[in-house]
Amino acid sequence: MYGFEALTFNIHGGYLEAIVRGYRSGLLTAADYNNLCQCETLDDIKMHLSATEYGSYLQNEPSPLHTTTIVEKCTLKLVDEYKHMLTQATEPLSTFLEYITYGHMIDNVVLIVTGTLHERDVQELLEKCHPLGMFDSIATLAVAQNMRELYRLVLVDTPLAPYFSECITSEDLDDMNIEIMRNTLYKAYLEDFYRFCQKLGGATAEIMSDLLAFEADRRAVNITINSIGTELTRDDRRKLYSNFGLLYPYGHEELAVCEDMDQVRGAMEKYPPYQSIFSKLSYGESQILDKAFYEEEVKRLCLAFEQQFHYGVFFAYMRLGEQEIRNLMWISECVAQNQKSRVHDSVVFIF
Amino acid sequence: MKQYKENHPTNKSVAVTSEDGNQSSNEIAGADQNILNLLDYMDNYLILVDSVSSSVRQGWLELASARYSMGASRVNSSLFDLKSHYASTTLQVDNGGTDTELPCFTLCKWTSSDEAKLEEDQLLKNKSDSLGSEKRKAEESGSPVTANNHAEKERFKSLSMFGTLVSPKLRATQSTFETTLETLVEMSNLRASLLCAYDQVQKDRETD
Repeated sequence: MYGFEALTFNIHGGYLEAIVRGYRSGLLTAADYNNLCQCETLDDIKMHLSATEYGSYLQNEPSPLHTTTIVEKCTLKLVDEYKHMLTQATEPLSTFLEYITYGHMIDNVVLIVTGTLHERDVQELLEKCHPLGMFDSIATLAVAQNMRELYRLVLVDTPLAPYFSECITSEDLDDMNIEIMRNTLYKAYLEDFYRFCQKLGGATAEIMSDLLAFEADRRAVNITINSIGTELTRDDRRKLYSNFGLLYPYGHEELAVCEDMDQVRGAMEKYPPYQSIFSKLSYGESQILDKAFYEEEVKRLCLAFEQQFHYGVFFAYMRLGEQEIRNLMWISECVAQNQKSRVHDSVVFIF
Repeated sequence: MKQYKENHPTNKSVAVTSEDGNQSSNEIAGADQNILNLLDYMDNYLILVDSVSSSVRQGWLELASARYSMGASRVNSSLFDLKSHYASTTLQVDNGGTDTELPCFTLCKWTSSDEAKLEEDQLLKNKSDSLGSEKRKAEESGSPVTANNHAEKERFKSLSMFGTLVSPKLRATQSTFETTLETLVEMSNLRASLLCAYDQVQKDRETD
């Protein structure tokens, strides 16, 4: 208990907290994953999922199934649940729920801009966009030639507008600028979300601070590893790290100068929460780092449900839902490619 | 002697000394050699088929792993670049001179797109000449570091359609498919040799 949330939370948030806890009980268990991992075909997966919350979304899909179809339909289920919660929410919960989707909005903007740069059809790109990140004028992104136009023509009327102040330039959009734009936007979004949660106070602030700090730290590590051997300078790399989190500021200083995986490990092992993650890796290995981070994230997200009367459960459910979809995508790919021996490489059990 | 030959039909080292013997024994030894060559090529070819199959399987799984890591919106076919651009890797086919009938396939990996544009764009000529001379100097001096840096840059450029900060898993996928391509070219060369050996064996059978 951090304040007097128990007195007032249920007035506006009680119904939706009950709804989201109900949704949580519908997440797939280890037994479900074990059954899915033993499937021989994608139709078997569909059959097993018919007994779960995904059943109604997959039942009308004709054979032969494709892995992208399974992912698309499972995502629709999560989107429907989100929309139900959003339509029932009042302030400030409705703003909190909207914040959860801004990351997808950023991904969609970058997808449209990158695809347009590569002369792809806009309709084709719109079909690949995440439904949680859609907004009305998204198709207009295709006409922008530089970031200034991107902002002026489209994004000024979207929730991403405040995040553009750090990356408005008249430079033409190219692959490097787009990547920097993506990471700069996401940094600004995370920092804004963090400030919003701090303003809410109470249990929400405490729990969301931990979850968002972990997200910021994970992004810092991923940016570091992905930029090793690229043209991104140390200063540019440092600018992409968020200004909060366990690694801020000294860990960021060390990560900014890392040139290989072992140096990243050396920088991260100084922090006890991340020591356990990196201890699972052998020297020079980065292949299972993603899974290790996802496992840690799932552990923290599940802990959010141990307390009541805070908004962190909504964030935790959406993230757990996304992890579940990632698991289903991986299992489907292994089954489709007849590589079932590798299915446990990336599946992260939630319960 | 003939009986010995019948009992040891593949013994090339037997010195058969019949009157019309040397020439026919050499022919038989040559025919055996052709059969052995054919079988060797076949064996190597099957090994390469296996190798291609396993590396393609590995590549597709690594691609799925990259999609898991980076997200489906960052690794999908709608990001492929449809703008006209020069191939970074080309295949040269040499149909053989007068001395040999075997075609030869050579993979030219990670050629600079700037060098390709030089032929048509006069404005880039000077820059490309200097780049080309640097590359030639590097090749003449046998500097592997410069060539490797160039290859790394070209690899990075070709992956940039998925973004400039890509996961190591996507780079591993690229490396795997690159190895597969090399193996395919090796298979093509081996297949040419295999078909030639087969033709030779057929000719030997017709002669017999």
